[in-house]
Amino acid sequence: MLEGAEFYFNVDHGYLEGLVRGCKASLLTQQDYINLVQCETLEDVKIHLQTTDYGNFLANQTNPLTVSKIDTEMRKKLCREFEYFRNHSLEPLSTFFTYMTCSYMIDNVILLMNGALQKKSVKEILVKCHPLGRFTEMEAVNIAETPSDLFNAVLVETPLAPFFQDCMSENTLDELNIELLRNKLYKSYLEAFYKFCKNHGDVTAEIMCPILEFEADRRAFIITLNSFGTELSKDDRETLYPTCGKLYPEGLRLLAQAEDFDQMRRVADHYGVYKPLFEAVGDGSGGKTLEDVFYEREVQMNVLAFNRQFHYGVFYAYTKLKEQEMRNIVYRSSSFEVPIL
Amino acid sequence: MGSLFRSETMCLAQLFLQSGTAYECLSALGEKGLVQFRDLNQNVSSFQRKFVGEVKRCEELERILAYLVQEINRADIPLPEGETSPPAPPLKQVLEMQEQLQKLEVELREVTKNKEKLRKNLLELIEYTHMLRVTKTFVKRNVEFEPTYEEFPPLENDSLLDYSCMQRLGAKLGFVSGLINQGKVEAFEKMLWRVCKGYTIVTYAELDEPLEDPETGEVIKWYVFLISFWGEQIGHKVKKICDCYHCHVYPYPNTAEERKEIQEGLNTRIQDLYTVLHKTEDYLRQVLCKAAESVYSHVIQVKKMKAIYHMLNMCSFDVTNKCLIAEVWCPEADLHELRRALEEGSRESGATIPSFMNTIPTKETPPTLIRTNKFTEGFQNIVDAYGVGSYREVNPALFTIITFPFLFAVMFGDFGHGFVMFLFALLLVLNENHPRLNQSQEIMRMFFNGRYILLLMGLFSVYTGLIYNDCFSKSVNLFGSGWSVSAMYSSSHTPAEQKKMGLWNDSVVRHNRVLQLDPSIPGVFQGPYPLGIDPIWNLATNRLTFLNSFKMKMSVILGIIHMTFGVILGIFNHLHFRKKFNIYLVSVPELLFMLCIFGYLIFMIVYKWLVYSAETSRVAPSILIEFINMFLFPASETNGLYSGQSGYTLVRKDSEEEVSLLGSQDIEEGNNQIEDGYREMMCEEFNFGEILMTQVIHSIEYCLGCISNTASYLRLWALSLAHAQLSDVLWTMLVRVGLRVDTTYGVLLLLPVIALFAVLTIFILLIMEGLSAFLHAIRLHWVEFQNKFYVGAGTKFVPFSFRLLSSKFSDDVA
Repeated sequence: MLEGAEFYFNVDHGYLEGLVRGCKASLLTQQDYINLVQCETLEDVKIHLQTTDYGNFLANQTNPLTVSKIDTEMRKKLCREFEYFRNHSLEPLSTFFTYMTCSYMIDNVILLMNGALQKKSVKEILVKCHPLGRFTEMEAVNIAETPSDLFNAVLVETPLAPFFQDCMSENTLDELNIELLRNKLYKSYLEAFYKFCKNHGDVTAEIMCPILEFEADRRAFIITLNSFGTELSKDDRETLYPTCGKLYPEGLRLLAQAEDFDQMRRVADHYGVYKPLFEAVGDGSGGKTLEDVFYEREVQMNVLAFNRQFHYGVFYAYTKLKEQEMRNIVYRSSSFEVPIL
Repeated sequence: MGSLFRSETMCLAQLFLQSGTAYECLSALGEKGLVQFRDLNQNVSSFQRKFVGEVKRCEELERILAYLVQEINRADIPLPEGETSPPAPPLKQVLEMQEQLQKLEVELREVTKNKEKLRKNLLELIEYTHMLRVTKTFVKRNVEFEPTYEEFPPLENDSLLDYSCMQRLGAKLGFVSGLINQGKVEAFEKMLWRVCKGYTIVTYAELDEPLEDPETGEVIKWYVFLISFWGEQIGHKVKKICDCYHCHVYPYPNTAEERKEIQEGLNTRIQDLYTVLHKTEDYLRQVLCKAAESVYSHVIQVKKMKAIYHMLNMCSFDVTNKCLIAEVWCPEADLHELRRALEEGSRESGATIPSFMNTIPTKETPPTLIRTNKFTEGFQNIVDAYGVGSYREVNPALFTIITFPFLFAVMFGDFGHGFVMFLFALLLVLNENHPRLNQSQEIMRMFFNGRYILLLMGLFSVYTGLIYNDCFSKSVNLFGSGWSVSAMYSSSHTPAEQKKMGLWNDSVVRHNRVLQLDPSIPGVFQGPYPLGIDPIWNLATNRLTFLNSFKMKMSVILGIIHMTFGVILGIFNHLHFRKKFNIYLVSVPELLFMLCIFGYLIFMIVYKWLVYSAETSRVAPSILIEFINMFLFPASETNGLYSGQSGYTLVRKDSEEEVSLLGSQDIEEGNNQIEDGYREMMCEEFNFGEILMTQVIHSIEYCLGCISNTASYLRLWALSLAHAQLSDVLWTMLVRVGLRVDTTYGVLLLLPVIALFAVLTIFILLIMEGLSAFLHAIRLHWVEFQNKFYVGAGTKFVPFSFRLLSSKFSDDVA
């Protein structure tokens, strides 16, 4: 790619960038959150959200209002915005958007397969699927019995297909294998996305690469944390780590050997970026969990992405920030999840 | 003139509303639209206000009404729109209304649901029949094998199962058939092939008529498909894939008899469903018709109710919680109306203690209210688009009524075009009560709202057109030209004299392409044309030069008068706001500067017009050079405008002007500094340095502004020139061509030519040119005129009035 995005970026993507920056301005502010905290019922939340950019998105909902209704409507709204961006995008931005949806698609596929394993009906699970990761072939996922089946029959024409190269196997899909499949898919997905951004170069690479590196490392940490006390062997564990992060290669090797949280922390201590994060984690009761700390860091990086112009990172950052906002609202709302009479 | 010259005096009033009567009082106020409420609970978030419950109830009602309107529209039942707007419902009726509406909604939802179910059923049956019909053609070739099948009777004869099976050679031959969305066919087939590894046979055909999708109600094209496969395992997969692509799968009949049977059964069921559906629809229609009668008044009532509660949310409770306190801005002239409205409200609710009000003094700037009528409204809008006037400031709209159409007309000066515009506007004005015009779409609406502006613009264009003597670019010879060509031929002079005076004879006429009339020869110029430009200029080749000089001088004169008037209006502002020092220190120097430079320029122009005649025109000095020399004091002697200008008898006057003009700049700057000191003494918190800076900037800006603004008024000349030239081009390119063809064919040609001429005249000259002249006239008012005195930093008075609620429910509900 040519360097110097400022010369040609606006020709193709200027409109969308302007739009996404406008959308970003509609994110809830500190004052909004203060008001949300004061809310006492879901109705209050609804009334308050009406005064924000969400508008009367809940106007047509019949009573009683539930958290899931709010959640679906919010997701729908995000999805509408995203679809608009995507439909108006040009290459290579549209590929970028496809990459963005891939993570949701992976989640949906895994969700559906888990559901099939637990003999739940497809319709029931479809409701839970993230609308951004929806695709037609999705519902046929439960036909497959092995990962290669899944690839050959269902996913070969979807954008997920290239990520399957590492995980073609004839293993039956039980719970562990599904989890392994998810992580492997994610690993190849992150690596591919990272490569795409790196090849694109310019400001996009400068912004997106750190975000994706962080994402990769976060996954590595989380995988390690979750694999403590499971039957996953250390070698297997290492194959799941995405290799595009800052931890690669020494950190990942060390992580693969870690046996408890303290050893993990010691690995993180070698890295200036992650040391403060692990220090912020409270121990046991109170304090933040590792997940919260990671979320905070992610949000911080996404907010900073808006400080530069002429790059695709803003779209990624906006979607992530909006998701975080939705998580916040749902978290806030679910605290008074009692049927309102 | 009072009310349009300045905005109305406002006062801040406090209303004490007894809590029992508050609703009725506000309802009475809303009908009258007298006051603007101030939000007393600004830092209370929206869901913590007092009347949130009531607002929520209104929203619930609105939701039901929106649903009703949507259903009524869907059933194509006309919604009657009442002429009158019903008052906000009394509180007692609200509950009743709510109950009634909720009951209606429940009933409606149920009936609609039933209807939808029936409809879906019907659609499915129709699809099924279509499928049977089409698949029959697929398996035609199998028909001859049918006897073979019968040897192996199906083991499980459950036709309700999605696919029917036949046992043959140890494996089951199964069929799945159904309908699939047109767009999905390809992907569907591919996936089938991949999953079943080619062990299936798919046949499909497009359905010739599009059908409605039972799920979404969309009318789309469908494909009928038939999949035949071996084995149960594959059957499951095929079923799943069908689910995935949202196919509508229907049981496939095994034999011809079965097919016939099913078909007959389907036909009777479809018939039955039709009758039931018809009945249901009839009933639904009845319900909706009944609802449609009252829905309009309900919508209006709920809107009013919601507005009242929003206003009540802005009030604060007093300590005893017995009455609400509202703070309102009210025009002083309407105070007794306000009192009466409050009494009315109290009386209506039957309260023992009446609500009352008192005015409270305030230091805050009140909102600006300028009452307009349908005539002045458009002009006020032009001014407001620049900025709503500060409270009690001189309102330029009053003067805009005349100056705006006039400046427009100077640029648009054409008798014919102006008359067409005038007629169009007159048509709008005469039909202004026509309902179609009131509800017309954007562009038409724009014209309609500006109809009085258009009317005046047309009238003034007729006038300036007469002055320019332009009618569709041609001149009209009404009074007979003041020039006589025959006088040039006059033979009363001796040949030598003739030669000297440049008179014409036959050889001159024959050999010269251009002939010149000389006004100094007696009899050639008999005096000015009575009104406007002499039509003989239409023939002259130097017409443009003549008109340019005339129009340029005219636009400078008009511009300077306009701007000087603006500065004088500034004096009115200073007088009103009691800032006398501003008159001496700002307005007077400004006037002095303006008049001494540009006023003097006008003087020179007029002087030259009056003093120099045809005989002396050759020695007349150029005004431009004179004007420049005034600044440069050139060493070389020039021919002055008037005798003694360069330093003899009348020198006093001129140099005095020059001195004063040079001085005025210094004086002004000096004065402004004095003024700063003035203010400093009056109010300690004024920052001297800051005011000094703004005043210095202001005076520099004013001096430079005067020059650039005067130049800016030259657009009057430029646009009028452009307009005249464009219409001239249109005439020569079209009508003249048509007129030149000989009589027999010319008639045939003239008709389309005239039609084209009319169309182009309307679109290019009237609309396009009109728009550009309009924009330039706006600019001259906003920038050149209003910056001399108008601050425009006020806020508009927005009364709480039900009339401002949109009375149409179709656009915001549907």
